[in-house]
Amino acid sequence: MFLLLWVNQMIWTSFVIPGAATWLIQLLFVDFLSIGTIRPDFLVILVLYWSVKYGRTVGIVSGFLIGLLIDLSGTASFFGLSPLIYSISGYIGGYLSGQYSRLNPIYFTVSWITILAFQFLIFCTIQYQDIWLLNPQIFWGKWFGTTLYTVSFTGIFQVVFPLHKLS
Amino acid sequence: MRVIRGKTTEIVAFISSPIIWVKSLMYLKEENGLLREKNLILSLQIESMLNLQIENNRLLGMLDFKRQTKLYLKPARVVNKGIQPNLLSIVIDVGTLDGVETNQAVLTPKGVIGKTIETGESASIVQLITDVNFRLSVRVLPSGATGILRWLGNDKGQVREVQKNVEINIGDKVITSGFSDIYPSGLPVGEVAGVHDERGSFQKILNIQLPNDMSSFQHVFIIVGEPNDMD
Repeated sequence: MFLLLWVNQMIWTSFVIPGAATWLIQLLFVDFLSIGTIRPDFLVILVLYWSVKYGRTVGIVSGFLIGLLIDLSGTASFFGLSPLIYSISGYIGGYLSGQYSRLNPIYFTVSWITILAFQFLIFCTIQYQDIWLLNPQIFWGKWFGTTLYTVSFTGIFQVVFPLHKLS
Repeated sequence: MRVIRGKTTEIVAFISSPIIWVKSLMYLKEENGLLREKNLILSLQIESMLNLQIENNRLLGMLDFKRQTKLYLKPARVVNKGIQPNLLSIVIDVGTLDGVETNQAVLTPKGVIGKTIETGESASIVQLITDVNFRLSVRVLPSGATGILRWLGNDKGQVREVQKNVEINIGDKVITSGFSDIYPSGLPVGEVAGVHDERGSFQKILNIQLPNDMSSFQHVFIIVGEPNDMD
């Protein structure tokens, strides 16, 4: 009984409340941070943190659920794209779980930056496939801008909540 | 799935409404000044247009032309600009209770901006011109050439499938062609910013300057009725 209560409380404090809070921030305040049509993605940062802290399975499941939530929050086309890419990020992020002590810190940092870059590469490849065909320069600009903006915010969060401490 | 997305859109619109209210207050003073200026310009234009309309009616009567009715527009407020890392869709605060249905044209005073793709009772999702799946059949004036518009990034669009033998110049107006069940003809889309003739191709490629700043608009109009009452 006590164990059940503890698990229930842990789910709320570790997943539901941070997830809901980040979703609300992304939904309500991200437009204030937009540069042109590019905005930071706080939800992928959350999935990355969860996957590094709790491992691959939690990363995949949380990524899928967060992606589903995104697609149900006023997304116009490609229903199902977000669960796919967030699950992939959660899965790859899970590889970093418990690896900080074994890896070179630079390699660890490059790894999570690569995960974010890969997430946005899939997103941009599907969402901007036309632009890729018409003008690859604009396509890479979009990808780089989106990635850099989110990586910058991840860097800022690292100061408060370092990823390596979770790992 | 359509019902679920409609309901979740309503929830998103409800949660976003206080922030939009605060945001609109922030821009109120600036918007008020712009509206005063616009009001003065429009008043002057109305004066000259009234005279032109009288003359136009007289000439149309002489030529026995059929009169087109006005479009029925529904104003709406943008309550959310999507959750994704790139601006691809918006949520507006009107839905089926206001007469809005899926696949209705959405525009700003500057030009076409998208179409409704999901509707709840009091909120709808609008697919923006920036979405990869968005296409728009357009006509270039004065040549009358038609083509298919797609978004090219930032405030640029590209029109393809334009016949090579038509004369198109930079600055020509681009409007909707009317070859669509969604977009009535004559809606402003943009201006020609570049013309490219590809060797070995039977088509021209036009670069279009889109008038809307995708990151800053707050109000839109939905065409809930088409000019179907032809006399």
